Amino acid sequence: MNITETSAEGLRREYTVVIPAADLAGRVDAQLKEIGKTVRMPGFRPGKVPMSVLKQRYGQSVMGEVLDKAMSDSAAKVVEQHSLRPALQPKVEIVKFEVESESDLEFKLAYEVLPEFEPADLGGVAIEKPVVEITDAQVDEALGRIAAGRKTSAPLTEDRPSAKGDIVVIDFDGSVDGEKRPGMKGEGHELELGSGSFIDTFEEQLEGTRAGDHRTVNVTFPEGYHAAELAGKAAVFEVDVKEVKQAVEATIDDEFAKGLGFDDLAALKTVIRDRLGGDYTVMSRLRAKRALLDQLAELHSFEVPQGMVDIEFDQIWKRLQDELKAGDAGEDAGKDEEELRKEYRDIAIRRVRLGLVLSEIGQKNNITVAREELNQAVLAEVRRYPGQEREVFDFFKNNPQAVESLRAPVFEDKVVDFILGQVKVTEKPVSAEELMQDPDEEEAA
Amino acid sequence: MSKNAKPFVSAERMYDLIVAPVITEKSTMGSEHNQVTFRVPLDATKPEIKQAVEGLFKVKVTAVNTIVSKGKTKRFRGIVARRSDFKKAIVTLAEGHTIDVTTGV
Repeated sequence: MNITETSAEGLRREYTVVIPAADLAGRVDAQLKEIGKTVRMPGFRPGKVPMSVLKQRYGQSVMGEVLDKAMSDSAAKVVEQHSLRPALQPKVEIVKFEVESESDLEFKLAYEVLPEFEPADLGGVAIEKPVVEITDAQVDEALGRIAAGRKTSAPLTEDRPSAKGDIVVIDFDGSVDGEKRPGMKGEGHELELGSGSFIDTFEEQLEGTRAGDHRTVNVTFPEGYHAAELAGKAAVFEVDVKEVKQAVEATIDDEFAKGLGFDDLAALKTVIRDRLGGDYTVMSRLRAKRALLDQLAELHSFEVPQGMVDIEFDQIWKRLQDELKAGDAGEDAGKDEEELRKEYRDIAIRRVRLGLVLSEIGQKNNITVAREELNQAVLAEVRRYPGQEREVFDFFKNNPQAVESLRAPVFEDKVVDFILGQVKVTEKPVSAEELMQDPDEEEAA
Repeated sequence: MSKNAKPFVSAERMYDLIVAPVITEKSTMGSEHNQVTFRVPLDATKPEIKQAVEGLFKVKVTAVNTIVSKGKTKRFRGIVARRSDFKKAIVTLAEGHTIDVTTGV
């Protein structure tokens, strides 16, 4: 095996590898002999198949295998000899090889290596992290909404006729054209006046009744009523009012919290506060991360491997094309292609560079992703598809590479956390609106 | 027919004459002596086979030897049956001529 370096400019390295034909033939023969020991062929006893027949039958495929192995071996050797850190798989180009004439195998290996760089000193980095304080007023408001959804009813405390908002307990028996119909009769039904759950003016006509009253209610079924034969018809209901109740707002106290399954009111408030704060914490972390990445991008300006940029750019570009086709590219719609390409290429370079910086920092500081953390990421992913947890979980179980694809974001998060622990982070209180508005503004800019 | 007169073999008959190559341990031993083995019909004659091999593979044949292999007697559930006989032709090619038996005609 003969390896020569043909070019080394920037991050690109090119090598020409020559493997003599005799070398290849030797390997092929050795492999054929190995096959010959076990292969069964009609007309031959096992292990007695002559070489010429084997070569005719298996020569091609064995040659392919040997070539493959020779190439990957030599690629590994190149990396080892020159102690390269390749960014991507090498591009292989066969310069000279003919199966028939048994010529030497000569091929080119084009590598792109990862740039050598020192992560910038993080001591001078300072970041503002916007934080939202949850006020008591917000908690109380949320509490009020819950209370409104849990109205109870109690018997009237004073003697008065029913009014809008009250609940009447009624027996009713209805007829259409003097004919009784099934389903138009009910006993002990609790009807909230003004709730609009009964047709037409049924509820209005019951306002002002007292317990024990008897009313005859005349209503008309609306056009478009779901039972077609009743639509538009007039109906007469005989209604007996059994009881009038009044709706009672739930009072917010420990008792109320217990009804919801909490120990006391304080516990309920904490949960509400956490729930409200959860969204904001995620958001403010994102903002801090973004600020950090911006700073990192400014601090580093090394050359990045072209191949990685190309891959990243192709991904972005493809997504953009899809969006353009779907017609929701937003502000990008008006720009011409030249301009867009340049813009997104810059973004791709930035992403690749940041990715390299993060992985470098992670490696330097021995940050690894443990099995359990990966499992947690899987679970989080599974939870994003409610109703299909089973399927999604099975998908991850059967596709180890899908799990591996989650490794990168987890690793990134850990590194970002690590850096955030290192740099100076100042918390800046902002209102919820400010926090949520920010990203939109930045995207428009 | 005198011994040296060539029999007429039509193109169709040529394809009929060469049934299949015989590829076995024994037959590949012949390849060292420039011999190729074919399976041929029972009624094929040596001069015919020579004509057919020369015509189909465009080679020069120096000799043809034939063997009739008798079918084995087999018993299956007490019923005695006999497999068909078949004829093999071992064709010796002139120096420098080869036939790739795996490619077919």
